[in-house]
Amino acid sequence: MKLIACTEGHSSKIEAFSLEMIAAARSLAQAGDEVVAFFAGRDAQAASASFGVADQLIAACAATSDLVPAETYARLLRDVIAAESPSLVLVPYSANGLDVAADIAARTGWPLISYVNEIKRDGESLTVVAQMYGGKVLAECAVQLPAILMINPGAFPEATPGPIDTARVRTIDAEPALTSGKVKMVAIDVPDYADVDLTTAERIVCVGRGIGDEASIDLARNLATMLGAEIAGSRPVVDNGWLPKLRQVGKSGQKVKPKLYLALGVSGAPEHLEGMSQADLIIAVNTDPKAPIFNVAHYGATCDLFDLVANLSDRLRAGSGR
Amino acid sequence: MNILVVLRMIPDSAGELQLAEDGRSIDREWLDFQLNDFDDHALEEAILLKEAGGAHVTAVAVGEGANRVLQMAAARGADEVVALQSEEDAMIFSREIAASIVAMARAKSADLVLCGVQSSEDVFGQLAPYVGALLDWPHVSGTNRIVANGAVLRVTQERGAGVAVTYELAAPAVLGVQTASKAPRYVSGSKLREASKTPIGRAAPEPSGFERSAEIITLRLPVQGGSGENLGGNAETVADRLVSILAAKGLARN
Repeated sequence: MKLIACTEGHSSKIEAFSLEMIAAARSLAQAGDEVVAFFAGRDAQAASASFGVADQLIAACAATSDLVPAETYARLLRDVIAAESPSLVLVPYSANGLDVAADIAARTGWPLISYVNEIKRDGESLTVVAQMYGGKVLAECAVQLPAILMINPGAFPEATPGPIDTARVRTIDAEPALTSGKVKMVAIDVPDYADVDLTTAERIVCVGRGIGDEASIDLARNLATMLGAEIAGSRPVVDNGWLPKLRQVGKSGQKVKPKLYLALGVSGAPEHLEGMSQADLIIAVNTDPKAPIFNVAHYGATCDLFDLVANLSDRLRAGSGR
Repeated sequence: MNILVVLRMIPDSAGELQLAEDGRSIDREWLDFQLNDFDDHALEEAILLKEAGGAHVTAVAVGEGANRVLQMAAARGADEVVALQSEEDAMIFSREIAASIVAMARAKSADLVLCGVQSSEDVFGQLAPYVGALLDWPHVSGTNRIVANGAVLRVTQERGAGVAVTYELAAPAVLGVQTASKAPRYVSGSKLREASKTPIGRAAPEPSGFERSAEIITLRLPVQGGSGENLGGNAETVADRLVSILAAKGLARN
């Protein structure tokens, strides 16, 4: 059978999770199967330099655009699916993947399972494990092929990057699909890290919904200052306007890997864990003992976060003689 | 512009979730149901669009507590509110309600369908792309800003690492909202009481037209705690331990 691994990139870069999609497909492929990497972007260079683990690369190239909108991506992918008749299409859980996977499912009628962490193959059928309810519940599902799976970034290890033979690369001109598309890209804004770059911070104090209100952020900020840490927030905190977007950790924010990550009142939705689970030392404080943040924390505490901040601040202040 | 905004009631996953005896669903008996957070932002964006350029906003709610949330939607500025009937005690799969939303978008001559980008029960796929594909309208998910200039929509989408992409598309369209342009507004008690008089329409569900994506064999709770050490619930003890842990790891501030 054929497996299509959907990959992404913008400008001249590929997204790292693209290699995870290829690795996931490779891990399911058996003798005689074929792993096809599908890419849509400005040029095929970065993809063909990295996707050597795939048996074939189909690259849809649009020289006039730094990014192929999901609508166009999905249309090109549909043509590839029609031509290749794959049994399985793996789509990353990403901004692009969110628009692509269900669009294809709606137009093909194929099954779609989202937020997939694990896949087991038994001949022509699959058992997959998917996350629900912010990672608090895992659903084991039996899926009939052909099917589409949307895979969580981080669920599969990255394939080793390496070049793919030009003989195994097929390029498609994406310009006609891009030109006739109804969704036009007008701008890509890459954040300016002049003020703060969480990705290089060694210590981060991150506040979540449990902080309660904007005024309380200052308590956490003072603690961060005493620890020599940057203050950061989870999505709800940033959505409420309590911290600037550049200080958001998680899927739609920054992916961080500090030496210390102190999470205060962060529940640990999968999208948050994606951004911080690689930190060297994770300390989590949350009154809900079942909060998923404890699944990645090295140390966890279930006390009130304000009591903890007060007590910890006192000790740090005393220790520094201030 | 006619805007249809979808409001899904979901179990409060900040609380404790228990599995039902059949092992394939969650125990709904003692659960609190709340509006899907992303749908709350979609509602806010709909109201902001109405305030900016005029629109007729229809809110459709589905699930336990739909009437309560529709009154809130009316208090916030929705012109018309409709409860979409659903099977009691069943999960709300976006794949299955998509056909009903499509029917309602047509019945209300919607130019724009807004919903949250995701919900905690959309394991079989997300609503905006299903509805967009079924209507063959353009769709963009993960928006954090929508500006309408007549029928032309300028939409900003959040991507990873803080990258934001702006698109232009023409209505009719379907947008999956991640974050409204402004945080969802507070509604006063008096406004809520006033809005409680708003008549709530009823809509019967349409057949989904899709086969169920998969059979859920079993639900389980993830293994708790990982390999981390539990420092307990006493703030003083925890603070003492953290000071020594940080010192031992060389992370106490120099």
